[in-house]
Amino acid sequence: MKKVIDFEHRMAAHCETGTLTALLNYNGLEITEPLVFGIANGIFFGYLESSNFPFPTFIVRSRPGQIRENISKRLNIKLEKYWFKDPEKGEAKLDELINKGIPAAIQVDFFYMSYMPEWLRVNINVHFINIIGKKDNKYIISDSYHPRISELDKDVMRKARWAGGYMAPKGFLYYPVDVPENVDFKQPVIKGIKRACRNMLSIPVPFIGIKGIYKFADKIKEWPSLVRDTEHLSHEIMKINILLEDQGTGGAGFRFMYATFLQQAAGILQNEKLDDMSKRMMEIGDKWREISYFAAKIGKNRDLGKEKLNELSLLIKERGDEEKEFFKDLRKTV
Amino acid sequence: MKEKDLYVDFKPQQAVYYVEKDDSTYGPIVSGSQISHDYLEDYFFKKKNLEKQLRDQMADNKISPVYYYMTLYEMGIGDLASRVRVSKRKLKKHFLPKYFEKLSIPLLKRYAAIFDIPLASMFQLVIVKQEDQVRIEFDFMKTKNDCLIITKTGIRKNEKSDRF
Repeated sequence: MKKVIDFEHRMAAHCETGTLTALLNYNGLEITEPLVFGIANGIFFGYLESSNFPFPTFIVRSRPGQIRENISKRLNIKLEKYWFKDPEKGEAKLDELINKGIPAAIQVDFFYMSYMPEWLRVNINVHFINIIGKKDNKYIISDSYHPRISELDKDVMRKARWAGGYMAPKGFLYYPVDVPENVDFKQPVIKGIKRACRNMLSIPVPFIGIKGIYKFADKIKEWPSLVRDTEHLSHEIMKINILLEDQGTGGAGFRFMYATFLQQAAGILQNEKLDDMSKRMMEIGDKWREISYFAAKIGKNRDLGKEKLNELSLLIKERGDEEKEFFKDLRKTV
Repeated sequence: MKEKDLYVDFKPQQAVYYVEKDDSTYGPIVSGSQISHDYLEDYFFKKKNLEKQLRDQMADNKISPVYYYMTLYEMGIGDLASRVRVSKRKLKKHFLPKYFEKLSIPLLKRYAAIFDIPLASMFQLVIVKQEDQVRIEFDFMKTKNDCLIITKTGIRKNEKSDRF
């Protein structure tokens, strides 16, 4: 089989918003990645302790799949979605779509994306890529995290699509089948903002939203009791930088992307207050980035005594205070 | 963040970041990763130390290869147990050499598949001397026999490291 769809490959900050934005653009809808992120209320915070992770961690975006579902609902876009128990059936469906010239997004375990640098490749089952062709036994891939179109062997792709474990992909694939030509973004933008405020301020769970930021600030002081040695602590502290900056966030734990969304939203709604909120979010993002720098620096220097961790904790708490005020004010602007 | 403050020249790891452009609009740029640019050597240093610590523990019969690979690949117990389709309690037993010795070949094959290593690597570690690492290459060839991998080793034709 030899077929490559004429698909414009573009890098994006995040895999889920990147694949979805690219598919929507391909199907004729002009929409940006930040708009997809904001309309789908992607901004989030959660501090998680689970045996599914090797160490306590935090998330800065909504649950994987939520962005896709919210966009589908709010923009009235019909998506065709499939899960497959049987890999052969899942591969046959994907091949059929390629043959018909339909690019599709699939969910994979990031560990198997061999075109990515080895130091980035970890077992995360919620990576999304677009499949845009097949040449013999290799799938042609548009991955938002990679500068160029890539290829992956059919056998490796099978492992990636049917990796078991936490949030297993189960061969999931989707593609848009009905995309409206003209979309009025006003109501979806308002809904996205309102829901984001609710998620950050009002979910009655002690590790979600602003409460999650405070929990993170408290818990980080206990990390020394959870590690093997100083190098392990250094690694986990430096991962704060990676989680905020490098794991497909667009910088500062999605805060820069959200600021961009708010700027675009200000134009759509003709609301100057949103422009001010956008600037405020950019400043909050800058301060999250200070945390990234600080964590990387103390981790590298192995300067991980109680005093430094308290300092880091205080910086995180301050971000919580600022975001609490920010989302309260944002709620009033729409 | 202003574009000029964020941009890092680091080709091996590029990503999209959102920044404030010169005209005050916000938008995406492609830049290298700051942490990888500044601290990748430190990451490899720590990883190498961890590998050695775990290897020594394995050689002292204190931990099993299951624990070795799980820790090295930074997998959670719940996630790995679910991938291998065993309970977390059972998985924790497999961390110990005395239980690891009793594992069946099919279960070991499941572990090897998840760690993406040949089955043989559950029983032996091959280490290349530091000074030869750039020169030596391995080619693992699968066979129809699931339990057998043929490993060809030799001098790399292009001696440049492919790490970057």
